Amino acid sequence: MVFSSILFLFRFLPFFMLCYFLTYVIPERSARRMRNVILLLGSLVFYAWGEPVYVLLMLFSTVSDYMHGRAIDASQSQRVRAGLLISSVCINLFILGFFKYADFLILTVNSLAGTHFQTMNLPLPIGISFYTFQTMSYTIDVYRGKAKVQRNFLDFAVFVTLFPQLIAGPIVKYTDVEESLHDRGADVETISYGCCRFVTGLAKKVLLANNIGLLWEEISAMNFGGMSTLAAWMGIGAYALQIYFDFSGYSDMAIGLGAILGFRFPENFRYPYVSASITEFWRRWHISLGSWFREYVYIPLGGNRKGLPRQIFNILVVWMLTGIWHGAGWNFLLWGLWFGFFLILEKVFLGKLLGYLPRVFGWIYSMLVVLTGWVMFVVEEPNGIFSYLQAMFHRNGSEWYDERALYLLLQYGVILIVGALGATPLTGQIGRRLEQSGSGLAIALRRLLKKVIPAVLLLASVAYIVDASYNPFLYFRF
Amino acid sequence: MDEKQDAGLTVAFLCTILLLLLLADLWQPDRKFSENENRLLASRPTLEKSALLSGKFMEDYETYLTDQFIGRDNWIELKTRSEILLQKREVGGVYLCDDDYLIEQHLPEDFPQELVDRRLELLSRLVEGYGARVMLVPTADNVLTDKLPDFAPYYDQDLLFAQVRERVGEEAYIDVASKLREHAGEEIYYRTDHHWTSLGAYYGYLAWKEHTGMLSPVSYDPGKLCAVTDDFLGTLYSKINLPSREDEIRIFPETLQRPVRVTYDYNVRKTSLYEESYLEGKNQYGYFLDDNHGFIEIETGYENGRELFVLKDSYANCLVPLLTAHYERIYMVDLRYYNGRLSQLLDPYMGESTDVLVLYDCIHFLEDFKYY
Repeated sequence: MVFSSILFLFRFLPFFMLCYFLTYVIPERSARRMRNVILLLGSLVFYAWGEPVYVLLMLFSTVSDYMHGRAIDASQSQRVRAGLLISSVCINLFILGFFKYADFLILTVNSLAGTHFQTMNLPLPIGISFYTFQTMSYTIDVYRGKAKVQRNFLDFAVFVTLFPQLIAGPIVKYTDVEESLHDRGADVETISYGCCRFVTGLAKKVLLANNIGLLWEEISAMNFGGMSTLAAWMGIGAYALQIYFDFSGYSDMAIGLGAILGFRFPENFRYPYVSASITEFWRRWHISLGSWFREYVYIPLGGNRKGLPRQIFNILVVWMLTGIWHGAGWNFLLWGLWFGFFLILEKVFLGKLLGYLPRVFGWIYSMLVVLTGWVMFVVEEPNGIFSYLQAMFHRNGSEWYDERALYLLLQYGVILIVGALGATPLTGQIGRRLEQSGSGLAIALRRLLKKVIPAVLLLASVAYIVDASYNPFLYFRF
Repeated sequence: MDEKQDAGLTVAFLCTILLLLLLADLWQPDRKFSENENRLLASRPTLEKSALLSGKFMEDYETYLTDQFIGRDNWIELKTRSEILLQKREVGGVYLCDDDYLIEQHLPEDFPQELVDRRLELLSRLVEGYGARVMLVPTADNVLTDKLPDFAPYYDQDLLFAQVRERVGEEAYIDVASKLREHAGEEIYYRTDHHWTSLGAYYGYLAWKEHTGMLSPVSYDPGKLCAVTDDFLGTLYSKINLPSREDEIRIFPETLQRPVRVTYDYNVRKTSLYEESYLEGKNQYGYFLDDNHGFIEIETGYENGRELFVLKDSYANCLVPLLTAHYERIYMVDLRYYNGRLSQLLDPYMGESTDVLVLYDCIHFLEDFKYY
């Protein structure tokens, strides 16, 4: 089930919330348990709706890591504990590898060795990359003593299956929510914040991402060889905004729903497109993934404490993994290494250099790297990537601009401007200024806007969902 | 009021919106058909084990919920209006043009050369085998080009005309496009429909007449065109569903002079080229020759022994009435409804005095002109 659907908004969500909040009428001790039962059942229905078979895989993963956690905790011997950890990680990576990367490996072997192994063509279980990473964070942290073992299976199952962040993140580490699993509550201000956050995310996905996505859809269907420079830039710019609003919209919805239920999920995006370096970009883009790799791969490998050559090696490993996490394909690997390359350059000298220059230089450089990266990410096959880049850098013999590009600019100009402004902290700053102002008028205005804006966004989103000719789920490859 | 109460108010307000819509949606009965979208709406899927396991049930159920959602037409209108507010001049494949014209969008990439080649091959077989003449009518985007939104892309049909002309030769090619462009300032296309008007068809007829040099016992006078309805909202209106300027459907009164006998699909006989009943419904263009039929035979009442065989799409329906004065019998075939060998259909009718005419608008020619 996806959030941006009539089914979720007008069937699942009201029904689930009604059941969930009805527990507040029964005594608190049994209500806690009841809430988790409802949350688990709701999450299973939510997941099974889209994956009626693979829901069993998720349950298997849950049981496996629950037992591994208990066993690691119970064992005194360091060797046994390490063995159990390796077993847990291997099972998770095997599930992920089997469903996500097996066909990719088979195809690669076939093309390198000229063999003809059959691919399995299994559909990828939705969200598998998210929940396997989450359960791994649990066993690893139990092993390292950073997290207490979870003895209550219900609480643990809630952690794995938690529907708000199940299919598109953010990647919640066990330690992020450890306490709230058993004991949580939200006051009315948090619930109000959660509602508004959810609606904002919905609008980002449905109103901005889907509509800007149409522009990319149209441009990516053109012949790259004859594409004008303007069209190429507009196209990749549109894709950059689409994936940002789509992905961060999903995160907003997850964080909002989490807040309503009493969870505090980590922030996942902080205006990545204002970054003045690639290092900064990755501190602002899909933060939960970056911090997962940092905590469970980069630092265990030695991070930056073992000298520059080792650090460079570590960066390359992390960025290969980051790339391939986004999809089983060579282009994703390339995309990851592309960023790894610039991160290393920045570590070695570029970062210092950028520090001396006005911020705008860093921003232009970062946007060039990021947008070029999106071409690799979204076009996928090598010839296409190459000819799209040729079009962008005016190397395909086409015009700087043509009528088609001008037409699209007129059609999408307004929404592109809205999108570009929305991708900067500007609107947030206006909101905060209003928030801080103590005058009676400002307070009244703020209270009014806090109701009117979410209501308008909600209704407008519903209109676009009802007439949903284009409402893609972009993360089916993650 | 403190912040806490205000937050409670925000939550209550949003929940109320959600719940009101939910209750209204649960309460309202399902619709079978959407007049606005001109399609059947999804109905509640039946629950079966296999459909449940494959996920098909869930997909169907979501389509069903979305199709039947309360106030569907209003939501769609809200969306369309907000797109126009955001300066979009194209909605659902329709350009919103100057002078209240709606013009269908046809993108160049949808008509690759190989498609054109296939159509040309079929066309030239007809021309060589039966001496067919070819009338391809440009669609509105190619004639009313200056009414399109700025820089709007469109499939340039002149490229097609040039190829057709070269392939079939001057003998067979009737140049409708030039004639229509001479009169681009007149009401030759409907504002809300993708067809040409009777006036447009009249200019097509003139091009045909000049090309064939045939003389007519009747001369049509565009000044005498008379309206049969003035509230026509056509196919393009149905795609955008926003208040639009209504069209008039007009006919040449001269076409009513002779008693005609029209036979639809070999069995239904009528005595008029026009079907009044359509003017009451939504599909008013169906007024001309009873909308779409696989085979139509017209006995015109002009006894000159000549016959015409027309392979056609719906653009022909308002032009053929003008041709009645030139032929004793006219046969019309819509290839979409005919699956046999074309020669088997054509040959029995072929005689010394039988003409063959291929009459399509460009887009339907490329999309539908197929036969065995």
